[in-house]
Amino acid sequence: MLSIALPKGRLGDKVYKLFADHGYPCAAMEQDDRRLVLRDEASGVQYLLVKPSDVAIYVEHGAADVGVVGKDVLLEGGNDVYELLDLGFGACNMCVAARVGFRENFSAPLRVATKYPNIAKQYYANNSREIEIIKLNGSIELAPILGLSDVIVDIVETGATLKQNHLEVTHTILPISARLIANKASMRFQAAAIQPLLTALTTQPMEGKNS
Amino acid sequence: MEPLNLTNKDQLTGKLRSLYESLGYTRFSMRRFEEYALYLENKSFLKSDSVLAFSNPDGMLMALKPDVTLSIAKHARPERDALEKVYYKESVYRLAPTAREFVEIEQMGVEALGAIDGYTIAEIIRLAIETLRAVGKDYVLDISHMGFASGLLEAAGLDAGQQEALLPFIRQRNAHELAKEIARQHVPAEYAQRIAQLAGLSGTFPETLARASALVVSPGMEQVLAELRALYELLDTLGLAGCLQLDFSMLNDQSYYNGVVFQGYVAGAPRVVLSGGRYDLLMRRFGKQGDAIGFALYLDELTYMLAEPSQWDADVLALYRAEDDVAALNAAVFELAAQGLRVFATSNPPRDFRAPTTMAFDGRTFREVT
Repeated sequence: MLSIALPKGRLGDKVYKLFADHGYPCAAMEQDDRRLVLRDEASGVQYLLVKPSDVAIYVEHGAADVGVVGKDVLLEGGNDVYELLDLGFGACNMCVAARVGFRENFSAPLRVATKYPNIAKQYYANNSREIEIIKLNGSIELAPILGLSDVIVDIVETGATLKQNHLEVTHTILPISARLIANKASMRFQAAAIQPLLTALTTQPMEGKNS
Repeated sequence: MEPLNLTNKDQLTGKLRSLYESLGYTRFSMRRFEEYALYLENKSFLKSDSVLAFSNPDGMLMALKPDVTLSIAKHARPERDALEKVYYKESVYRLAPTAREFVEIEQMGVEALGAIDGYTIAEIIRLAIETLRAVGKDYVLDISHMGFASGLLEAAGLDAGQQEALLPFIRQRNAHELAKEIARQHVPAEYAQRIAQLAGLSGTFPETLARASALVVSPGMEQVLAELRALYELLDTLGLAGCLQLDFSMLNDQSYYNGVVFQGYVAGAPRVVLSGGRYDLLMRRFGKQGDAIGFALYLDELTYMLAEPSQWDADVLALYRAEDDVAALNAAVFELAAQGLRVFATSNPPRDFRAPTTMAFDGRTFREVT
């Protein structure tokens, strides 16, 4: 039985639909169920619904064989897993943003508010810029408005939230989307189950196969 | 060989020790610490780059050793054209993968240093296979060769910086981002297609070897494949090829490793449990004459496999009364223990103590109570 870790919430629903369309349906997932482990004997899969930021941890430790996770979470966690596919959806960018018209003062360390301290550190280390990280857990956009930080490092989808808060993107660090990851040992011992999944996900959905 | 009952880590290490000794490997014991500079200069050889340092009474900065191979390579003095075979069972000190805290980790491994020939390589790889077999009955040994990927990257004219940019994606089997990075590094078109395939170049030996031969662009790469083919055929003849996989996405640090490299996985452990390879370049760094090949078994990765909790605290709970004769009691308890039972003798058992059998002392012998 292949264990698949999915992020709870909107992304997870989308990912489940993709998997179901490609031959991995699970009847229990279609119902409004509160269980966190949902099995389907016929498809040979077991879905685990976990917090998005925990998906890579489940996979790295082998509690799940494969999982779907945003590239942002994967980079921040630095988990030792295989990244097998870019599923394309959930596309957005990891960006640096600041108040509209912000001018950077290069004579002082830059104060960076972010949910992603590792990504921010790496990015500024590559640019040899000294920074001070202010780790926040949400409403990052507030930080530059209140003068808590000079800039923020965060994911930007449409830019609407930034605009409403009079912020703008100053640099794009990298594009983000949902990735299929796999545990390293599972790639050896569960290859017979993972390989068909990979093949299915990289080909067109087969209507009727999952009925 | 019967797979080991993994309830006991000592049993495993004892078994491996006699395996290594039976092939003439001698125990290499070392100090707990080395000069910090050794690890500073060889940071990229280490599994994790945090080292537990302290200063000795002379003010010299020392470190609790985070790795054993560096110490062996540094201290070994293989004679010219001769071979030294050692094994070790040592504690190393590293950051725990999950918490920012240092932990003591037991590591076991073997190294052959000096004049390495084809036989020695096969012996070490067979020992790696036997080691995995001692750990669990379902195991895989991934084999690769440092010369294949580096041969391709060099033929494409990529400098060290460009190669470093591509390697992480090959290691992650991340074909989609590898393709983007190849484009970003302006890799010549005739090589781009080939390099892009490195991320997925893994699987059963003969099939992967066949796919790899389509990527060859230099005599050096051809030679690498010939070496791997010969190794596979040899292990196949010995009946040991069943657990082998070829994995060109596995790339160790190029400044230390050359030639054959390998990694072992055991079903039930989520990460690599055994890792090794040919490290002539490390020997050169220390100004040593000989070549070297070896591997380490990460006992810490096996902890949760090995520590299968027992349902019982003992086989027999042997109860007596405070007034019983101690000499008679003592004789009876040791008699029970001599039958191979784990006996817990007490007049006052701990709460929640679990044993399948409870016995009471009748003045001469223990009788089962129900």
